[in-house]
Amino acid sequence: MRNYRIFILSILSLLASATLSAQNLTDLLIGEVLVENTCGIEDGFGQRNGWIELFNTSSGTVKFGGCYLSDDKSDLKKYHIPTSDRAAQIGPRQSIVFYASGNATQGTFYTNFQLRKGSTIYLVSNDGRTIIDQVEIPSDLPADCSVVRIPTGIRGMDFVSEISSKPTPGSYNGDVDAKTKSQIMKETDPHGFVLTLIAVLVVFTALIILAFIFGWIGRLNKREKGAPKKVKKVKKAALQEGSMTPEIAAAISMALSQEFGGEVYAAIALALDDYLGGGVHDAESFVITINPTQGSTWADKAQNFRQLPR
Amino acid sequence: MSTIIENLRQFWYFTGFANATWQNFAMIFIGIVFITIAIKKGWEPLLLVPIGFGMIIGNIPMFPGLNIGVYEDGSVLNTLYQGVKQGWYPPLIFLGIGAMTDFSALISQPRLLLIGAAAQTGIFGAYLLALLLGFDPNQAGAIGIIGGADGPTAIFLSSKLAPDLMGAIAVSAYSYMALVPVIQRPIMLALTTKKERLIRMPAPRVVSQKEKIIFPVVGFLLTAFIVPSGLPLLGMLFFGNLLKESGVTRRLAETARGPLIDVVTTLIGLTVGASTQADKFLTGNSLKIFLLGLLSFVIATTVGVLFVKFWNLFLKGDRKINPLIGNAGVSAVPDSARVSEIVGREFDPNNHLLMHAMGPNVAGVIGSAVAAGILLGFLG
Repeated sequence: MRNYRIFILSILSLLASATLSAQNLTDLLIGEVLVENTCGIEDGFGQRNGWIELFNTSSGTVKFGGCYLSDDKSDLKKYHIPTSDRAAQIGPRQSIVFYASGNATQGTFYTNFQLRKGSTIYLVSNDGRTIIDQVEIPSDLPADCSVVRIPTGIRGMDFVSEISSKPTPGSYNGDVDAKTKSQIMKETDPHGFVLTLIAVLVVFTALIILAFIFGWIGRLNKREKGAPKKVKKVKKAALQEGSMTPEIAAAISMALSQEFGGEVYAAIALALDDYLGGGVHDAESFVITINPTQGSTWADKAQNFRQLPR
Repeated sequence: MSTIIENLRQFWYFTGFANATWQNFAMIFIGIVFITIAIKKGWEPLLLVPIGFGMIIGNIPMFPGLNIGVYEDGSVLNTLYQGVKQGWYPPLIFLGIGAMTDFSALISQPRLLLIGAAAQTGIFGAYLLALLLGFDPNQAGAIGIIGGADGPTAIFLSSKLAPDLMGAIAVSAYSYMALVPVIQRPIMLALTTKKERLIRMPAPRVVSQKEKIIFPVVGFLLTAFIVPSGLPLLGMLFFGNLLKESGVTRRLAETARGPLIDVVTTLIGLTVGASTQADKFLTGNSLKIFLLGLLSFVIATTVGVLFVKFWNLFLKGDRKINPLIGNAGVSAVPDSARVSEIVGREFDPNNHLLMHAMGPNVAGVIGSAVAAGILLGFLG
């Protein structure tokens, strides 16, 4: 039975990891494509080819080994990115360039097809069927101009396609001169009053909601405490026994509030013993006397106690 | 003979004496003052001793390039400093704080959360003043958080918003936290009447274990959804508290509030101290930061006390709140709550305010983490 459970858990874990992997791949997109490269970036062999830039939109590294690039919808598995290459990964918000040299033997980042104007470039998942992203190349795309996906919006997670005369292979496609949040704040709220107002409101709102929730839970708790008859019965029984003294309450309270140490068990045992009538303890004088030890304590009873009774 | 002299001269160039400047000696002196205060006065010794000694370590003059300084990549001190620089020491400390904090006082009187919120105005008051003194908004936000009276939060936020100012901000925050009794008492006395100081509050109700377990889960969900940027601090704080209250993770809770927080506190104190190298620390900005830090504590205490007085206008009978717990809204746990207790007992020896003051005090921890999240969201 136990093995069976472990097996089920393993299957579920595998499924979960597969799903996560798939989610990671969907964070990729084709960031920029340039077809006719006459004066731009050279590849590792000194050649100027068209290129495809992949961009990782997420905050984590994405491994894309095993995925495919293609310019033909009927043949989505046209170029297979080697699974074994450790370099086949992109860091968070980073990009990587594939040269469309038409000769895949040149390396992982060289496709076996060249780019054509008017075609569509597909980035395909490692199942060979799921299209992760695609970009259409206009048939009138000028030389040395690229189709670029520029991040927009507050979070920079939405993208619009544009034709750019200043390609940026392998680097961020957004506004590199974009201002920091602090600079924007300095312009829009130079004295800080707006931020202060918003922040104070948010802090108060968060804590007011928390106060309401716990006020409500407290009231609910009180109501629950008052409701069940069983509790009353126990209380009555305890009173009949005549043993629900403040000392017992204190002992129980101590037991509940101390969440560690052997004292908990000692206090609970003492409380229960008193609660149930007691009788196992000797009558104590409640006078603490400390006598100085004389000579060696090797035979002292205390030496036989375990220091950590757990 | 000349070879010996040449070698001795070369050795001399490597010694601290040859490379010393008056700034180094000034910082070493400040470090010794910190250690002395911690030992003699007993003010925040767990922090001031490591910080003080770290200051001495960081200001030993040395020949550059030996790869031993805190700012030299790959050195031992630099490796330890990454926990501060990358901001992962503070959340670990928050884990320990969560595992040692009993939120019962807060859960039994949830209305006291508002005092914790009011005292956070110290943060934003200092932010406004820092802007006025010419700091950039990100620097001003990092400086403002000193008003939260929360060292780990101050280090966390300044490492993200203004790493260059982190040394001064951390030292300022911890120094004023050590001086909480000195700073807060006169303000509390100045702003309250004798009649107000004698207000007795009813004993807080007993909180069930179920409520204690629900608190970290609900508290985290709510605050993290409102301010996701405070996730590292809020997540660790409430997680630590869940370890404590769940009752089934005693060993984890003990480690978090014991050995783990001790190790991290030692490292954070030492490396923050070591990061205060004279050339980076002894600047005009540091003086301004110290001034703003003091003002932020003053503002937080003042607003906390005045907020309670204002609130009392709408409360009747035994619902009234003793304004002496208003100072406890800053998150210097449990020092500011202890100040409430001591000042309260000066006027009525039988009026124990400690349990009441612990409510706003722990609310201040949550409030300052939320405030840090907001500042990080807007300025980070």
